[in-house]
Amino acid sequence: MSYIEVENLTKSFTVRKKREKGHLLREKTTVQALKGISLQIEKGDLIGYIGPNGAGKSTTVKILSGILTPDGGRVSVDGRVPWLERKKHVRHIGVVFGQRSQLWWDVPILDSYCLLKDIYRLTDADWKTRLDELTEKLDLGSLLRTPLRQLSLGQRMRAELCGSLLHRPELLFLDEPTIGLDAVSKLALRDFLKEENRKNGTTVLLTTHDMEDVAALCRRVTVIGHGSKLYDGTLNELLARYDTKRTVTARYDGEVSLESLPESCSMSRDGEDWRIVYEPAKVPTPELLSRLQSVGSIRELTAQPQNIDHMIAAMYREMDL
Amino acid sequence: MDTVKLYLHSMGMLLKSHFQYPVSFFMQTAAQLVMEGGEFMALLLIVDRFDHLNQWTPGNLYFFFGLMAVSFYLTEIFGRGITGNFPYLVRSGQLDTILLRPRGVLTQVLCSATDPRRITCIAVGVAALVMGSLQSPVHWSFLKALALTESICMSMILLLGLFMIEAVFCIFSVKSVELVNALTYGGRSACEYPVDIYPRPLRILFSAVAPFALTMHVPAAYILDKPLYGWPVWTVFVTPLAGLAVFAVMYRVFRLAMRHYRSTGS
Repeated sequence: MSYIEVENLTKSFTVRKKREKGHLLREKTTVQALKGISLQIEKGDLIGYIGPNGAGKSTTVKILSGILTPDGGRVSVDGRVPWLERKKHVRHIGVVFGQRSQLWWDVPILDSYCLLKDIYRLTDADWKTRLDELTEKLDLGSLLRTPLRQLSLGQRMRAELCGSLLHRPELLFLDEPTIGLDAVSKLALRDFLKEENRKNGTTVLLTTHDMEDVAALCRRVTVIGHGSKLYDGTLNELLARYDTKRTVTARYDGEVSLESLPESCSMSRDGEDWRIVYEPAKVPTPELLSRLQSVGSIRELTAQPQNIDHMIAAMYREMDL
Repeated sequence: MDTVKLYLHSMGMLLKSHFQYPVSFFMQTAAQLVMEGGEFMALLLIVDRFDHLNQWTPGNLYFFFGLMAVSFYLTEIFGRGITGNFPYLVRSGQLDTILLRPRGVLTQVLCSATDPRRITCIAVGVAALVMGSLQSPVHWSFLKALALTESICMSMILLLGLFMIEAVFCIFSVKSVELVNALTYGGRSACEYPVDIYPRPLRILFSAVAPFALTMHVPAAYILDKPLYGWPVWTVFVTPLAGLAVFAVMYRVFRLAMRHYRSTGS
């Protein structure tokens, strides 16, 4: 049996509409947030859980962490049913919400950590070792006496991460942890997560819209949309499926006409630049290049790197999300 | 035992948070004094015009007022998480955070807020109690002191139970329901006076639904040597337990409601 087993998980919410004139009661609609999701996650996995806004990512995380009770389906995390054995379950998990603070706003973060020690019933010695280790890795030493409200977003995220790892959770849920962070903070955070996963064997489930995060961290990705699972496998396989187009930009000396290009290529013009999008599978690159050369003398040719966000957008489009 | 430790630790930290804004804190505390002091002044002025209300002397009425003020505002200090903060916890998603920690939900809700500004209201309440006991006058005995302590504790638990009705509504609709205030704040205003001055329906309401009459008025009448309906002494120590009963029922309902908690967006 896997560490996390999710079978046919369903959850729906009733949404009350505004009362219309002439009706006594408000109308209700049911929104199916999850329509039978199944997942298996092994201990020590670092998996990315992606999908467009409103796909059901947060709902899944909330069920797996014991906040919500599902309508149907079976969940077991290390043999525990999260919503039935909440207290026992949450002792072993850590959760970080990128957009929500879990520490106390007006007091120095060290005070928050002290209170967490009482909440999780940690021993002084254990708490101290772990805190020292985390403050060093997350570079929090100089911030411990600063109230949370005075920290920058990047500092706050590191503080939150420290707070949710103090009790050495085996399973960590990260809900958009890099949202709004600058490049340096992002890279540091990724390094930290990788190390935490490698050294302590922490299982990590990462929900994000930042595909760079996924590419840097996750061996495996699960894509969900409209409450159903659409893909489960490695990121590379996923990209191979949708990564079919290439873009080159050409700049010519003098006026040229590019009408002789094959039909499967699409092109657009922006000032002097011609942007050509083609599929190497349909139009081999040497052929395209010789066609481009035949119409005039090329001054500059730029090959655009493939943008992972564009690919994911193409994938969502194709999956009709 | 470590639940108590956690509660005290949390309270300490919340006090520290409050003192982060000292000027605001002292201004608001002073404002509370003016508010509750004003209410007591109004009572003094009205009662001044009567010799008695039913069988109750002015001193007796001050005692009733003080008993309610002390119980109500102590609840506001120690149970602020339920009496005022709960709608905020639900709306802001902090209830999610609470659910992510290995402690009881109610414990953590109570640990989430306090309202130390109410200290001046309690001072007014204590002043009213002292005035009432001097003017009545009350012949204090150990049993009477015990009855007063039990009355205050049970009234606090009762208030907590009543405020939990609002909390339960919040869990379902994410918005607070003003109707419930009729029982809590309404109950406070009405039961500052002895319950036997009210018509029968209100007497039933405050004995059976929101039993302030049982937690406050029965013991108070005994302390003031005017046993309500001539009931024997042991009733004075038994009837306040109605507060505990209301709380127990609401606690069950609260736990049930939490199973249907639906959280807010991410």
